[in-house]
Amino acid sequence: MKYAFFPGCSLESTAWDFDKSTRAVCKALGIELADIPEWVCCGSTPAHSSNASLAVALPVMNLQKARAAGYSDVLTACASCYARLRTANHKVNADAGERERAERITGKPYDGGVKVRHILDVLVNDFGVREIRGRIQKPLSGLRVASYYGCLLSRPPEVVAFDDAEHPSCMDDLVKASGAQAVDWPLKTECCGASLSISKTDVVNRLGYRLLSMAHRAGAECMVVACPLCQLNLDFRQPEARKGHADVPDIPVVYITQLLGLALGIPKGALGLDALTISADHLSARCAAAGRS
Amino acid sequence: MSMDGNSIPTGAVLVCGAGVAGIQASLDLSAAGFHVYLVEDKAAVGGGMARLDKTFPTGDCATCIISPKLVECMRDPNIEVLTMADVVKLDGEPGHFKATVLQRPRYVDIDKCTMCGDCSAVCPIEVPSAFDAQLGTRKAIDRVYAQAAPNAFVIQKRGRAVCSSGCPIDSSVQAYVALIAAGRFQEAADVIRRENPLPSICGRVCFHPCELKCNRGAVDEPVNIRGLKRFAMDQFPSMTPPADIPATGKSVAIIGSGPAGLSAAHFLALAGHQVTVFEALPVLGGMLSVGIPDYRLPPDILERDLAGIRSLGVEFKTRTAAGRDVSADSITNDFDAVFIATGAHESQKLDIPGENAKGVMHGADFLRQYALGEKPPIGKRVVVVGGGNTAIDAARTAVRLGAQKVMILYRRTRDEMPADPLEIDAAIAEGVEIQYLAAPIRAVAENGTLTMLRCKRMQLGEPDESGRRRPVPIEGSEFEIQLDTLIPAVSQSVDRKLAELFGLDVSRWGTIVTDEVTMAASRKGFFAGGDVVMGPSSVIDAIAHGKRAAKGIDNYLSGRPLDTGIARPSERPNPLCPDDLKKLKKKIEEADRVAPAERDVSERIRDFREVEHTYTAEEAQREARRCLNCGVCCECLRCVEACKAGAIMHEQTARTIELEVGAVVLAPGFEAFDGGRRGEFGFGHAQNVVTNVQFERILSASGPTQGHVVRPSDGKTPKRLAFIQCVGSRDTGCDNEYCSSVCCMAATKEAILAKEHEPDLDITIFFLDLRAFGKDFDRYYERARNMGIRYVRSFISRTFEMPDTKNLALAYFGPDRRQVEEEFDMVVLSVGFEPSEALLNQAGAMGIALNKWGFAETSELSPVDTSRPGVFVGGAFQEPKDIPDTVMQASAAAARAMALLSPARGTQVRVKQYPPQRDVTDEPPRIGVFVCHCGSNIASVVDVERVVERIKTLPHVVYAEHTVYTCADDSQARIKQHIAEHRLNRVVVASCTPRTHEPIFRDTLRDAGLNPYLLEMANIREQCSWVHAGDHEAATQKAIEIVRMIVARAAELVPLKDETAPVEKAALIVGGGIAGMTAALAIASQGFSVHLVEKSDTLGGTARRIYRTLDGSDVQAFLDTTIEKVNADNRITVHLNAKASKVEGHIGAFSSTIASNGQSRVVKHGVVVVATGATELRPHSYGYGTNDKVLTQLELSERLGRDEIRLPDRGTVVMIQCVEQRNGDHPYCSRVCCATAVKNALILRARYPQARIVVLYRDMRTYGFREAAYREARKQGVLFIRYDVEQPPELDAAGLLRVNEPSLGRTLELKPDMIVLAAPMIPRADREELSELLRVPLNADGFFLEAHVKLRPVDFASEGLFLCGTAHAPKSIGETLSQANAVAARAASILSRKTMPVGGQIAWVDPDKCISCMTCVHICPYHAPMIGRNNKAEIQGVVCMGCGSCTAECPAKAIELRHYLDNQILRALDFLLVGDSTEESVDLDYLEQVGVAPPRWHKGLD
Repeated sequence: MKYAFFPGCSLESTAWDFDKSTRAVCKALGIELADIPEWVCCGSTPAHSSNASLAVALPVMNLQKARAAGYSDVLTACASCYARLRTANHKVNADAGERERAERITGKPYDGGVKVRHILDVLVNDFGVREIRGRIQKPLSGLRVASYYGCLLSRPPEVVAFDDAEHPSCMDDLVKASGAQAVDWPLKTECCGASLSISKTDVVNRLGYRLLSMAHRAGAECMVVACPLCQLNLDFRQPEARKGHADVPDIPVVYITQLLGLALGIPKGALGLDALTISADHLSARCAAAGRS
Repeated sequence: MSMDGNSIPTGAVLVCGAGVAGIQASLDLSAAGFHVYLVEDKAAVGGGMARLDKTFPTGDCATCIISPKLVECMRDPNIEVLTMADVVKLDGEPGHFKATVLQRPRYVDIDKCTMCGDCSAVCPIEVPSAFDAQLGTRKAIDRVYAQAAPNAFVIQKRGRAVCSSGCPIDSSVQAYVALIAAGRFQEAADVIRRENPLPSICGRVCFHPCELKCNRGAVDEPVNIRGLKRFAMDQFPSMTPPADIPATGKSVAIIGSGPAGLSAAHFLALAGHQVTVFEALPVLGGMLSVGIPDYRLPPDILERDLAGIRSLGVEFKTRTAAGRDVSADSITNDFDAVFIATGAHESQKLDIPGENAKGVMHGADFLRQYALGEKPPIGKRVVVVGGGNTAIDAARTAVRLGAQKVMILYRRTRDEMPADPLEIDAAIAEGVEIQYLAAPIRAVAENGTLTMLRCKRMQLGEPDESGRRRPVPIEGSEFEIQLDTLIPAVSQSVDRKLAELFGLDVSRWGTIVTDEVTMAASRKGFFAGGDVVMGPSSVIDAIAHGKRAAKGIDNYLSGRPLDTGIARPSERPNPLCPDDLKKLKKKIEEADRVAPAERDVSERIRDFREVEHTYTAEEAQREARRCLNCGVCCECLRCVEACKAGAIMHEQTARTIELEVGAVVLAPGFEAFDGGRRGEFGFGHAQNVVTNVQFERILSASGPTQGHVVRPSDGKTPKRLAFIQCVGSRDTGCDNEYCSSVCCMAATKEAILAKEHEPDLDITIFFLDLRAFGKDFDRYYERARNMGIRYVRSFISRTFEMPDTKNLALAYFGPDRRQVEEEFDMVVLSVGFEPSEALLNQAGAMGIALNKWGFAETSELSPVDTSRPGVFVGGAFQEPKDIPDTVMQASAAAARAMALLSPARGTQVRVKQYPPQRDVTDEPPRIGVFVCHCGSNIASVVDVERVVERIKTLPHVVYAEHTVYTCADDSQARIKQHIAEHRLNRVVVASCTPRTHEPIFRDTLRDAGLNPYLLEMANIREQCSWVHAGDHEAATQKAIEIVRMIVARAAELVPLKDETAPVEKAALIVGGGIAGMTAALAIASQGFSVHLVEKSDTLGGTARRIYRTLDGSDVQAFLDTTIEKVNADNRITVHLNAKASKVEGHIGAFSSTIASNGQSRVVKHGVVVVATGATELRPHSYGYGTNDKVLTQLELSERLGRDEIRLPDRGTVVMIQCVEQRNGDHPYCSRVCCATAVKNALILRARYPQARIVVLYRDMRTYGFREAAYREARKQGVLFIRYDVEQPPELDAAGLLRVNEPSLGRTLELKPDMIVLAAPMIPRADREELSELLRVPLNADGFFLEAHVKLRPVDFASEGLFLCGTAHAPKSIGETLSQANAVAARAASILSRKTMPVGGQIAWVDPDKCISCMTCVHICPYHAPMIGRNNKAEIQGVVCMGCGSCTAECPAKAIELRHYLDNQILRALDFLLVGDSTEESVDLDYLEQVGVAPPRWHKGLD
């Protein structure tokens, strides 16, 4: 299994731990990742809220580069990059005008044919949950985990569609494969406030508290995410979000790749767990215990 | 419509869909003289209505009102019901269609099934009940629902389970798994033994192809079928041989005692043949014994299965090799047939240098040596070459024999390895090392003794002919392994010597050539099977060969064609597709495969005892419960054994039926929207989110919770319940932009019912527009609000299930325009209507056009005609609609078919034959009493058992019982049975009102050979349980009293004779509008005369003022054509400026006086139709009448049609809806105004693109497809602004219109250039006069009142009188046309008869007592009595309605009302007041309590 990898800017910076753990897990599973040479920013939120043409052209540029490097599938981990790349493909395929515009800006032809895959999609559908379960070295038995998909991973269904839009389950399947217990909770696909983190911190804190307290109410000891913004808003802002709410304890918010990595027996240092604001040390301790038994 | 000129059309009609619409159409057609084929997709008739609890707005029990219809339909000799059938093709043309119908198997013989339920009791399969919308469960063999008709169970099958069809011997795998899950281990063992002669062996060593196919494997892991089989066999290890097998006298020799030979021996012995098995080795079992190591198959297990075969009388001869110990000739001569199953025991060589060195031992030889007790010499380091089970077996045996290092070399990868993966894992666990992609190239020996193996690395190249990738050596990758023993275990081959000895054809590999079905070899009488035919293969394949060969040999010995009855691979594969599995995956409760306990590695490698343990009973059941029951019915055949009537037919197949019909009526109904498609509401995920269909079942007494309102998660009564409206309706997101029309009222009804069940329940209905547009619907809505049901106008975007409480949080905009989050215990999704996939296919087969949402394409002006002439449509498949509209439209479609086929009327009818009536005059009364539960309607209040017990003690009562629904088909069959059994001559049914049910029970009596007047009904529902719901004891007492009286009366009943009266084949229609004219044309086209009476000087009515319909049809052109047709039809007499001044007579024979232009004329007719229409109110508000800017919607329609509207280009038009209606004097909705406003707004928009068009509304009631036009209007910029009824728009003197917009909380100001008022549609001024003339009732709003709101929407309660159009209630042109056609169908059911039956229950004057005082003549409301020739009163039987007024009034007591004779009434009173036995006397205290004055007149009480 070999994919062109689009890390995106978040994974280069704030979400370096997502980058590290993604690469580590893929390596452990024998999934080969080759970075797209000279990739550029996907445009993220600023592009699509300010320049619709650029919001398509930037992702297209990356897809063209992937194809030039000989790949038909591009894998990305960031939920936002994923959404932008998928949306660009969707638009280019659905609308000849969009395609023409993107080709004019990038100066190269593009038919929308490079497949864009999320790491979850590849793990669950290409590699297979059963196969992963077979590779688990240190099952996280008894750990109660809330999977938090956020608003982008499964939406809009006509653009992404690798899991159920309203009731996604791929991350829960991986959590179960790792030996942990996936708790069912109702806010799996609610918004964390996303890029309002800086401009409207109060909103993000309010939404963050809602998510954390509901996960806690559902019995979760930790949350897994697959989006740098979700992770940031729930982990980095957690002390602020929980301020004045004594009812919710510390809840580590880790990337699914970090959780899987632990269960696969990858050393915690190789998973970037030290980047967390809310420590997940007790999780790795649990893994160590599992490994000994 | 073209029709073959001269030939008479076929007098039969195909009706598709047996819901309430299909049933209505069928009954109408049958009554009008046509034969009907009623084709229904489901296993029972009744459609969606049968699933409802109650109906709105009357609160009638749905079952109670539809059940009689179902019974009537099933009884009608002219209605042939074909259930589980679909029309797959329709050829031909109107009048002469040929329909091809495919009927799926029911697997139960309808005629034999007695509904006893014994089959269901033994069925191990429980699946969610489709009838209960997946809430409850049903057995694989079950009835659809309690009152289902036809009255027969049905087996649900979905192909054949993949495990069963994947088994080479066709075992009923799902069956024994299901039986184990149910804890029925003995039965499971019996099922296994039925097909498998070596079950204990297979339970251990079968490579279980069933598990490889198991669908559970796609979800998580396959069911451990082998382990379950082992469990069952270990529970019941020994076989009981069948008692007496008749011997055939034929003998068979079997050469080889491996699985193939043993299997053949088993089945041949069972067939009665004498079997001798020759075995060359000293032990039996072939490879089972010498190929499979003991730790996998212990010798005692092999012996267990051998014992079973021995017990059948099979003779075994060991150490007897054919051709060595016994000659080929003697075998040929001594036996009638020979089966050769010598297997493949020759080890194949690696063909590498050094292979002959000491220390090289081939796999099969190695294993055989060990098995025969010769310790094979092995060294410390052992290398096995190969990837099959033999290689693994050899490696694991080597481990057990003490080898220190055991390695397997395999040239491909693990994925290609043919060995069982579990075996591979076990080998690895036991320390065996496997080197993949490696192959030996040379064995190196020192001094003749093996020391080293030279190998080469391989890589996978292109796939070879086996489909596996071919291993290709890598150059220069050679390596060496030090070893002591080399065991090549690559394959075995067949010894061809024996075949040659017998002169049989062999293949180039030495295998015997046979027929693959019968296993017959090239020489007559010789058969072969197992490895000797296949080459090395599996145990189960060998057993399959033996089994087939046994059948082939049996056929050969019996002289039958060899392949007779040989099971071939199953042809019913399971259609569970990946999509199903994906869905299943989400729904299936997670349960890991239960791993059987096994011995620890350190222990097991030391001996040859079994590695795996058998499941415990608990483990086995847990594992078996993981089965998905893919095939639904598991074919365990327990039902066949249980059914005493012999009604089960598992072998039934689908049949194709060709039907000749003249026309087709499509009434297939609808499918409920799949709530899961709107995932945000949590349906299918959150347990307490149910659909309205499910909630209806929850409310129903016959539903999964027996009518208790409980939530699925914990069975507790909810406290807070929310309805979310418009799920899958008015929703462009799922391509359903139409409104489903009924959900608002259905939710309101369900809320009222839930509140009646649980008065403390808080109910909130979240809605967009409350669409209570039907007759009396707004009153019902008001009633709900008065009961405290909260209506919140807000669309809920999603539900959040609280993880701990399973409550649902909903967010909405509250009254102060702020977001509120509120928790509810349970949420009901009001899902809308959709045409189903099956329906679309059927429509495709019929070749009719569909609209963009998949409904039948029709137009407003021909609402029941599809695109294909001769095919008509009615009900929800035309457009979502409620029950009355459905029934109406069904009749309309029937009428269109009748008109087309009128020349063929009566050509295909069959008359129902009743048995001759038994003369009971001289018999003493023998009364049977049947007390009805009416679901829970009666039984929840009245203790019916006590009633029965009490009634049994009454004189003359010889039988009494209670039944859940006495009106259901099965109960009536029981009544008939009891009449015969107990020689009953009077029957009392204690149930509901005789108004609806008496005809049915009377018919039951006629069927049983009794005069129908020997029936009497006691109404213990309306008069007892419903009115005394709060006092169960008193209600039970009263029920007993009522039934006692009726029983007393019944004893006095006498048979009466029914007479007949001729029918006048003409109709009188009052009203010459579009309704009257359409009815006139529809009736005339069937060949009947019509008198059309119009009070004005022109035909056309209100339609004269309407120019366009919403769908753009030209109303004026349609009107002109219609008038032209009416005038041209010589069967229609038009009376203008006329009115009916006198209407006398009765159904079938009316005589009316029509006054026209000062002249009177008497006409005779059989039916009367009221079609007098309605009119628009002239409003008093907004300056209407004084301000010329203000006009009504009808006036706007008219002026737009005449192009008389002038507006400034940028002018403002404001339409105000609900003016002077839905409150005050007109508390009803006029139904058409919203659609009219949208229509007129769109017309204005087209003409004045710059104008501002504003519609002020309370609820936009654009139901059905009108919703799309409403959406279009919004899209085109028409502004819709809501106002609250408390704050209606106000117009000031300056012409400024102010309206408060409640969701903004702001007052908007408009300066209209034109104001259009939606004024109510009101009944005509002369309604009262007509109502009195015809003696028919009006409702509170002055509209004519039909006989039954739901099921008789065009009939008046008085027979022979009908109504249609807006005289009935406000409605659109299309709906009016439907109803007018429906009238024609109903009228035809009378006019098509030669005579009408006249009931025997009429008054009679004793001329000897009559004093000719004329009292009766004056008193009779129907003018039935007259003074006859001899100056005595006489009653005209046909006119008499049997009301009894004359009887009561006659001063001379000269009149008696038959069936209500004095002695009958007095006897009833006697029982009530005195008691039914001499010991009992009147309980005066009780009488006072119930308010009855003590009867002083009775003797003995003075």
